[in-house]
Amino acid sequence: MKEHIYETDLLIVGSGSAGLWAAYSAKQKNKDINVMIVDKGPENWGGLMACAGGDLDIVMPGEDIQDWVKDWVYYYDGLCDQELMETLFKDTYEILEQYQKWGCEYLTDENGRMDTVGVPQRGLEHIKLYVTKVKGSGGLRMAKALAKAIKEAGVESLGRTMLTDLLKDETGRVIGAIGFNTIDGSFVQIKAKAVLIATGMGGWKSSYMKNPSTGEGIAMAFRAGAEIRNMEFARVWNVPKLFGWEGQTTLLPLGARFVNARGENFMERYSKTLGSNTDPHYSTIGMALEMRAGRGPCYMDTSALKPEDAAVVKPKLGWQYINYNRLKDDCGIDFFEQKTEWMPQPLMSYGGLVADLKGATRVPGLYAAGRCRSIDPGVYTGGFALASTATSGKIAGESMVDYVQELPLVELNQAEVEQLKGKLYAPLNGTGVPAKEVLRCIQNIVYPYEVSIIKSDGALQNALHKMETLKAELLPQMGAPDAHYLMKLKEVEAIAFITEWYIKASLMRTESRCGHYREDYPDHDDNWLKWIVIGLEDGVAEAHTVDVPIETYKHPIERYYQDNFKFE
Amino acid sequence: MITKIDSEKCIGCGICARTCPLDTIRVNENGKAFIAYPEDCMTCYLCEMNCPNGAIYVHPFKELLPRSLPNCY
Ligand SMILES: Cc1cc2nc3c(=O)[nH]c(=O)nc-3n(C[C@H](O)[C@H](O)[C@H](O)COP(=O)(O)OP(=O)(O)OC[C@H]3O[C@@H](n4cnc5c(N)ncnc54)[C@H](O)[C@@H]3O)c2cc1C
Ligand code: SF4
Ligand code: SF4
Repeated sequence: MKEHIYETDLLIVGSGSAGLWAAYSAKQKNKDINVMIVDKGPENWGGLMACAGGDLDIVMPGEDIQDWVKDWVYYYDGLCDQELMETLFKDTYEILEQYQKWGCEYLTDENGRMDTVGVPQRGLEHIKLYVTKVKGSGGLRMAKALAKAIKEAGVESLGRTMLTDLLKDETGRVIGAIGFNTIDGSFVQIKAKAVLIATGMGGWKSSYMKNPSTGEGIAMAFRAGAEIRNMEFARVWNVPKLFGWEGQTTLLPLGARFVNARGENFMERYSKTLGSNTDPHYSTIGMALEMRAGRGPCYMDTSALKPEDAAVVKPKLGWQYINYNRLKDDCGIDFFEQKTEWMPQPLMSYGGLVADLKGATRVPGLYAAGRCRSIDPGVYTGGFALASTATSGKIAGESMVDYVQELPLVELNQAEVEQLKGKLYAPLNGTGVPAKEVLRCIQNIVYPYEVSIIKSDGALQNALHKMETLKAELLPQMGAPDAHYLMKLKEVEAIAFITEWYIKASLMRTESRCGHYREDYPDHDDNWLKWIVIGLEDGVAEAHTVDVPIETYKHPIERYYQDNFKFE
Repeated sequence: MITKIDSEKCIGCGICARTCPLDTIRVNENGKAFIAYPEDCMTCYLCEMNCPNGAIYVHPFKELLPRSLPNCY
């Protein structure tokens, strides 16, 4: 087996928005620092940003960040890390300016002003997103701009390399990582003074292009001692039943809506105030109830869009353009001329690593940025991810430069490396259960609506039992015929980890809040104004709760977004 | 899902294999791209958009996954 050994000052795992921003910002702060960025996919490909619309939540000059934070306190039903939200969003305008300098363009009014064309999100007062000028390939352009900038800055990049384990020195500081090349299987060791996990969320390989986000980064940081939180919140999205579509966060505020089989705008039944113009985590509850009552299936109805708005949201470039035309020409589906069947689909868990305002986890030398760190609980606003992954990446990259200043590179303990290597390659024999089969079993456990959308104790207990059996009996039997499948196997191991904690934390939170909906506890409970935090204590995974320090925060909880809904 | 790579049109540049985020495509010893791991495709069209010779066809329909709701495939 071939081996590659690298060394660097900063090691960044994942070249998505967060990782690329961290690499770029670290080099901006100190051009002499060595930065290496590693991705299991193509070198510097941009992660999910390469498929994204490119919409951004931007606090515009003249706006008060505190108004945005107040919106989030309301939107998250109090479960808002207020200091973190302020830190991550106060400088979003700088991110926009940088993208503009790189040639990315966003929609403006006829006078060239952007601040007048923000799209308000989810019926909130202040949070708005800004869309790219031409709909279809905004995210890809942003990804390419960032990739070019880090190349020019001298960042070293490694593609098709999956990192699987972190190594620490005897003081407990993270000093490197190991992994393998996913094409030829060669072994990779990287020595580093600090490591940033920027590997995205952990999810279930849904059909919304979230397949690279499987949670290995979260799982390996957890094994190294970092904590995770918000695991009980799942990203459940409305998706067309047959194909992919990007942009409901713009379509719904502009007047598109979900209707049931009778053509009724059914969300008006569940929310007199918001109707369809809300978050998928609420409209999917509505959809599930419609189906249960025999009024399904549900459709996206775009007939109420004004022609000038439809012109803006019609894809004109990139994958969305090919997709739109191909649906029309080869499948007889014209998205803007007919209703299309939509359904809820669990994409991923919102849960992620706990880190401080600078991105540092509780493990020295280990940082987290982007969607793999827990920022928000269970509801979403369009444009949130590309903004917060950029700022959290930037902040972490800059902090790591300070952190490593006086630190030496430390040799990896080769006995430990050998042991991890043996474990890593053990399933590479081709005779075991294919990872894809195990993934399908996990999807079968977590996808049913009573586990992912309208949760209840009985269904969750049942799911947990199935997961524990799968973990004991099926996971150890997985095998991989080649390096490609070894990568898929490692992904499924992480998906199992994420799923287990998704179910356990869902059981623990005996209330409903912020997209976590328990049919047996349909209201919020003041005793639950806390995060569920999970960590290894003496080698054993344990969950505990941490109170939201509302008395030390700037904003009290005055109202609850979930009170806009009555699910009966 | 990616359904076709036209080997007549393929010039073996390898761009698709390099661009696919999920390592679905490889180039064989005859210098032709082929769908090596079809079950991985997430219908992102990145390969098709980057192919210089229009050799790739991605069908808009995605892999069918387990259902969340009853009566919903
Ligand atoms: C179709 C679509 C449209 C979207 N549109 C928008 C939008 O308009 N606006 C918006 O704000 N957000 C949008 N999003 C969401 C947004 O793109 C993502 O949430 C964001 O880009 C995530 O960035 P990240 O860097 O945290 O993680 P990711 O993009 O997931 O990047 C993580 C990277 O880490 C790599 N990786 C993972 N594990 C390992 C490992 N073990 N070893 C090595 N590498 C690893 C992955 O290959 C990946 O490249 C969209 C997402 C999709 C899929
Ligand atoms: S990008 Fe097109 S021409 Fe190049 S190898 Fe792939 S299919 Fe062939
Ligand atoms: S559509 Fe995307 S995932 Fe599928 S083969 Fe092409 S690049 Fe790969």
